[in-house]
Amino acid sequence: MDKKMCWILIFVTIAVNVVMVQWTVESYLGQEFNQVVIYSGISVVSAFIAFFVFLNWRKLEYAEENQQ
Amino acid sequence: MTNECKKGRNLKNSKSDMVNLTKNVDQKDDLKYNRRAFLKTAAGASIALGLSTVPFSVRAMMGMAEEENERVEIGRLDQLGEGESMTFNYPTDNDPAILVHTVNGDLVAYNSACTHLMCPVFYKKEEDILLCPCHKGYFDVNNGQPVEGPPQRELPLIEIEVENGIVYATGRKYRHG
Repeated sequence: MDKKMCWILIFVTIAVNVVMVQWTVESYLGQEFNQVVIYSGISVVSAFIAFFVFLNWRKLEYAEENQQ
Repeated sequence: MTNECKKGRNLKNSKSDMVNLTKNVDQKDDLKYNRRAFLKTAAGASIALGLSTVPFSVRAMMGMAEEENERVEIGRLDQLGEGESMTFNYPTDNDPAILVHTVNGDLVAYNSACTHLMCPVFYKKEEDILLCPCHKGYFDVNNGQPVEGPPQRELPLIEIEVENGIVYATGRKYRHG
């Protein structure tokens, strides 16, 4: 995975998480608890993806600098 | 850049060429606002957004474990003529509700806290509609859906049963119709 893909993935996870927060709150207010858990689960997975992609980006970014 | 200053690579005394550009009068800003800092903030925002939903799911799981609503007597049907309404509390004393005997002869009940800003809604017999007077929100009396004004969500529906002339509340649905 190159750095450009890392940027793309991180921004995709932001978009996913914004939508999931909205849907989670809506479902919570509607007492649709099964859906709250589903949306929240997707959101947490997305957050983990963002974290690991960020770690990967950091490795690539600073490895490049160290080589110079 | 060397590995010696790896942890301080974005600090002022870093040996990084990026930081120590000659004649850089905006060094402080360059250290704070740059491409790397932007992506770090974006990743942090994504993680924060993702984790912010966890308390909702914890509360949801606690809510799923709660017991079903009990059956509660609201009142006698013969004391509620067509076009009249009465208030009660369901499922707890902190949840005001309204039972309406519509002009069509139907019996419907909803939690009466407006879904906009929690003002109590009233039954308006002349127009056969539920009105929230605070901000002129109107709800359809037949299904509790908002029809006019600021409310966006329907009123929670209270399921009712009539037995031997007595009206009982038996459950509550937040999303319906």
